Amino acid sequence: MQKTITEPNLRLLIDTLVSEGKRVIGPKAAGTMTLYEPLSQGEELNLGELPRRSAKEAFFPLCETILTYERDKEGVRVTDVDPQAIPETVLVAARPCDVAAAPVLDSVFSWDFKDEFFLERRRKTTIIGLACARADDACFCTAVGLSPGDTKGSDLFLAPLTDGGYRCDAITEKGEALLAAHADLFSDAATAEPLPLAEPTLGKLDLEKIRQWLDTHFEDPLWEEIAARCAGCGACAFLCPACHCFDIVDEGGEEKGARRKSWDACGFGKFTNHASGHNPRDVQPSRYRNRIMHKFKYYVDKFDQRLCTGCGRCVRACPVGIDIATVLEEINSK
Amino acid sequence: MTNTAQTIDLSLYAAVTEAVQAEARKVLEAGIVAAVVGWQAGRRKGTALPAIVTDPAKAKELIFSPACVNNLALYLTKAKKEIRAKGKIAIVAKGCDLKALVGLMGENQLKREDIHIIGVVCPGVQGANADRAQPLSETTIAGKCRECTVHTPEGADVTVGTLPQLPHFTPAESEELARLEAMTPAERWGFWKEHFSRCIRCYACRQVCPFCYCEQCLCDRNRPQAVESTPRPAGNMAWHIVRAMHLAGRCAGCAECERACPMDIPLNLLNRKMAKELKELYGFEAGFEVKEKGPLAQYREDDDQSFIK
Ligand code: SF4
Ligand code: SF4
Ligand code: SF4
Ligand code: SF4
Ligand code: SF4
Repeated sequence: MQKTITEPNLRLLIDTLVSEGKRVIGPKAAGTMTLYEPLSQGEELNLGELPRRSAKEAFFPLCETILTYERDKEGVRVTDVDPQAIPETVLVAARPCDVAAAPVLDSVFSWDFKDEFFLERRRKTTIIGLACARADDACFCTAVGLSPGDTKGSDLFLAPLTDGGYRCDAITEKGEALLAAHADLFSDAATAEPLPLAEPTLGKLDLEKIRQWLDTHFEDPLWEEIAARCAGCGACAFLCPACHCFDIVDEGGEEKGARRKSWDACGFGKFTNHASGHNPRDVQPSRYRNRIMHKFKYYVDKFDQRLCTGCGRCVRACPVGIDIATVLEEINSK
Repeated sequence: MTNTAQTIDLSLYAAVTEAVQAEARKVLEAGIVAAVVGWQAGRRKGTALPAIVTDPAKAKELIFSPACVNNLALYLTKAKKEIRAKGKIAIVAKGCDLKALVGLMGENQLKREDIHIIGVVCPGVQGANADRAQPLSETTIAGKCRECTVHTPEGADVTVGTLPQLPHFTPAESEELARLEAMTPAERWGFWKEHFSRCIRCYACRQVCPFCYCEQCLCDRNRPQAVESTPRPAGNMAWHIVRAMHLAGRCAGCAECERACPMDIPLNLLNRKMAKELKELYGFEAGFEVKEKGPLAQYREDDDQSFIK
């Protein structure tokens, strides 16, 4: 179904959803940057800037408690956190490159083990994607087969119009349902033209060729060449919409504490450190190789999907200027 | 005319680039060094990244521009063993970066004779979130460069470039520090609490710091866990206190930690505050001469003891 919505009505939609008790997450000004954060009113929606961190936090928070323990006279009590308590959520105005990562992550979180926290959040979230009319020189969604107008992963999809409103397409049943429930805020199909889509500058990459090269180049001087400079921080992985490694730790004391799940990164020196002390990825080049292999080979082999949507966040954030698009271009040219 | 309109003349960077390339080629060809650590241009306009050059023919890829923000001393630390293993290394260093090399020598992490320092005269580099399309000016220059005192490095094997006349910029970091110092302790605590609440524990600040070369960081320990590792208020506060204390008297002030922080936490303010305290209490400043032990790593009878109540 296709409708249109004005910007004031989009903000009103957020107010309405909040008043219905839903958790609404969208781009919001946060000091020197914009982040996807819970909105308490439509007025807070900040559409101008690309959020610094990706939208994956809507399903895969930076840190979450999965159980708590407590000891008293009676003994030890362990309490599971109930995923059912996760609230109904609407993720609004998320970039196509963020949204496209969500269905990719579904594969790994519902594979040999079903991550109920992730899956419950996914089930309870309706995603309103927003097409990009602007891209910067780090954006390369088009090079990895997506686009600033890609609806992959969106339930509803907004495309900005020349008159300041948005064309609104329902992509899934969830989207249809949201449209139907708030029909008064939408009007009929657009008369105004959609704004032209952003045009990321990087040329198309041959992703199958890249995968084939990776298949046969586990050992290659390229890894040292590119990754000797890698500082081994988690900035690239933490900001990435598709990176999903996490750590589970128990924190607290003898009397009480919690088991928590929080983000981890393959760039960290201790990431694969074994209890024996042996670390199979003992230098940065082998860690960076894993980053590329995981995104463009292992995940493709296993789930036929790629762990990169070309959002450019890692490119913007890397403190030592490592540019994944340059790495891909280089492999592509071999 | 306001200060923001004052821009820095870019011709020096081109001259320095040429001189760096020539020096790199020379020392590689003569076999004086096994590699040169410098900067090369990035794919995106106005960006640069660290380069490790071993082939003299590739010396021409080295550049110096306002995008050359990294403190390359990082690549000579234990954290980057694979680079040191190549042999004697030449390193391109701005004045601020040279302080880190001096500090590393003091900590017995580097021997002067094992490195060849190519010092570059530097009018300033761009700030972390600067608009790269704009010229280098008060609005785009890094905070530390506005009040830099080491535009011309001293003690390098060669120093290239001649410093042009520089505009006068307002010392934003000092002003911010003064503002913090004027706060009550509770207000200051609130200030840092708010900033640290944004920390995602990506450790970019630690990983780019030349002085964070410990093979086992206390904050990575998990048997037992010394500092909570999840990005929550308690662990974040502990992490930042540990970090500030561990670097007090060692921090070279390169501000790399702050630049690398994807959450824009003003870490260099904390570094500067610690450096100021050490100067006042011990008359000590890091990075100016090679010293065996910093003030927090030794005991002297005339140390200030007024804090013991
Ligand atoms: S790898 Fe980089 S460009 Fe690709 S999705 Fe992740 S952050 Fe974005
Ligand atoms: S890569 Fe850039 S242009 Fe493409 S969808 Fe993401 S933000 Fe938009
Ligand atoms: S952000 Fe850069 S330095 Fe940090 S781990 Fe990623 S590639 Fe390495
Ligand atoms: S603490 Fe920060 S400013 Fe000090 S040396 Fe380390 S990276 Fe540089
Ligand atoms: S770089 Fe910033 S966000 Fe990352 S651990 Fe350091 S202070 Fe925290």
